[in-house]
Amino acid sequence: MVIVEIPIGPQHPALHEPIMLKVKTDGEEVVEVAVTTGYNHRGIEKLLEKNSWIRGMYIAGRVCGICNAVHTQTYVQGVEKLMGVEPTPRANYIRTMVMELERIHSHMLICAVMAEIVGFDTLFMLMMRDRERVMYLKELITGSRVHADIHVLGGVKRDVDEVRRARILDELRKIEERLKYYKKVYESDYTLIRRLSEVGRISKSDAIRLSVVGPTLRASGVKSDVRFDDPYAAYSEIPFNVEYRDEGDSWARMMVRLDEALESVNIVRYTVEKLPQGPAVPKTIPRAAKPGEVISRVEAPRGELLYHIVSTGGSNPYRVKIRTPSFLNILNTESTYLGHRLADVPVIFASYDPCISCTERVVVVDEKSGRKAYVSLKELARGG
Amino acid sequence: MSLVLGNFSFTEVSPRRYVITVAQSELRGVVEAVVKEESYLSSISAVDLPKDGKIELNYIFWSVKHKAALVIKVLVNRENPVVPSISDIVPGATKSEVETYDLMGVVFEGNKNLRRGFMVPEDVVAKGVYPLRKDSGV
Repeated sequence: MVIVEIPIGPQHPALHEPIMLKVKTDGEEVVEVAVTTGYNHRGIEKLLEKNSWIRGMYIAGRVCGICNAVHTQTYVQGVEKLMGVEPTPRANYIRTMVMELERIHSHMLICAVMAEIVGFDTLFMLMMRDRERVMYLKELITGSRVHADIHVLGGVKRDVDEVRRARILDELRKIEERLKYYKKVYESDYTLIRRLSEVGRISKSDAIRLSVVGPTLRASGVKSDVRFDDPYAAYSEIPFNVEYRDEGDSWARMMVRLDEALESVNIVRYTVEKLPQGPAVPKTIPRAAKPGEVISRVEAPRGELLYHIVSTGGSNPYRVKIRTPSFLNILNTESTYLGHRLADVPVIFASYDPCISCTERVVVVDEKSGRKAYVSLKELARGG
Repeated sequence: MSLVLGNFSFTEVSPRRYVITVAQSELRGVVEAVVKEESYLSSISAVDLPKDGKIELNYIFWSVKHKAALVIKVLVNRENPVVPSISDIVPGATKSEVETYDLMGVVFEGNKNLRRGFMVPEDVVAKGVYPLRKDSGV
């Protein structure tokens, strides 16, 4: 058989991880996958070095559109340690509330995208419709639908009043009901199970060896969650379960996400009901940090997000290293595609929760004739 | 408080953060000890220290077993930054090493995937500079 190379991507500059999968196939079987990056390196680490601590807060939030509040949280909690500032309990609860809403809509987004990839467009439409409820709640709390920017050094930018609290609880009931329904769909739908289970399996020992994180790691039977193991914000005071499964395949990864989204609904409800009294918005904002370094970790929707912040004193950071969860989850999993069919590649790729819409463009090259044809990822998933 | 793994003693610098500074020759030995504790490599963070003529490499591991971040610090010479690769012990380190090479110019001996342009745009690669170094002018 002729080995054919199929490049998937590169793609859209608006999304945070433009990437290309060079897939080599022998007939329908995938024999090699190489991930190529660097199409849109924005130099954010360098940018953070050149800007003040406070400006850095907004730059960090722009690393990712979907999980912007967790990026700001990781940066802010690191800087707060260097500055010796403690946020108030109420501020911590509000931060947690926003971050958990972000987890719900992020998980709903990828579950919707996965449904679309396997050809279940109705489910995609329904999930995206209900995801809007979460976006509405985010707007209600932070004032903006996508970019939260609710953090300031030492607290949050705006408080949550009684009227909003009642509204949040009301919406949460509807969101929970829909999430339970979608979980049932993923658990029982014949097509979804056939397309997702036994595809892209990672064993427990491989998951640690390959250094994958988040739902990908937990779906392989490793009970590791930053919120639980290394608590930050208000997580040490909130009761919640760490969802994990033993199957290790694409289906398990989606199920972990749906279970987690339901758990997040409970966490948001807890933070709204038990919101501590006291101030949330600080009166003054510190501007200078002491020399030192800090490793700041947060459980982003896609897994462990890590900032290594080095300060030599003064108004700017000396060095900020950002490691996003997708960096590990996408780049370290090249081996998991091998032996599967070409149509499974988008399913496995989406199960790691990358920014999939970036890859909605595929070039198929016939190596013999050099003929090129453009195929969308959706067509590819349906058998090309 | 300290955490002892094999012949290596990590010092606790803050809650759940343990640090050890080792020489280049000991790096692979300490990584082997860390990997035995159900650890995955979170990140390799390189810090440029032009005043000392060094680059500081921080290998940040998270140990699922100990529920702690284990940080291995290695100082390499800035003029000739060469360090043995750990990608054969931890496969998850391969891409982190490529990224560090591309942005900071640290050569990981034994990693076959090292190449420029992994993250850095072509025009910066053509200039032959490593953008995260303090004197890169980027």
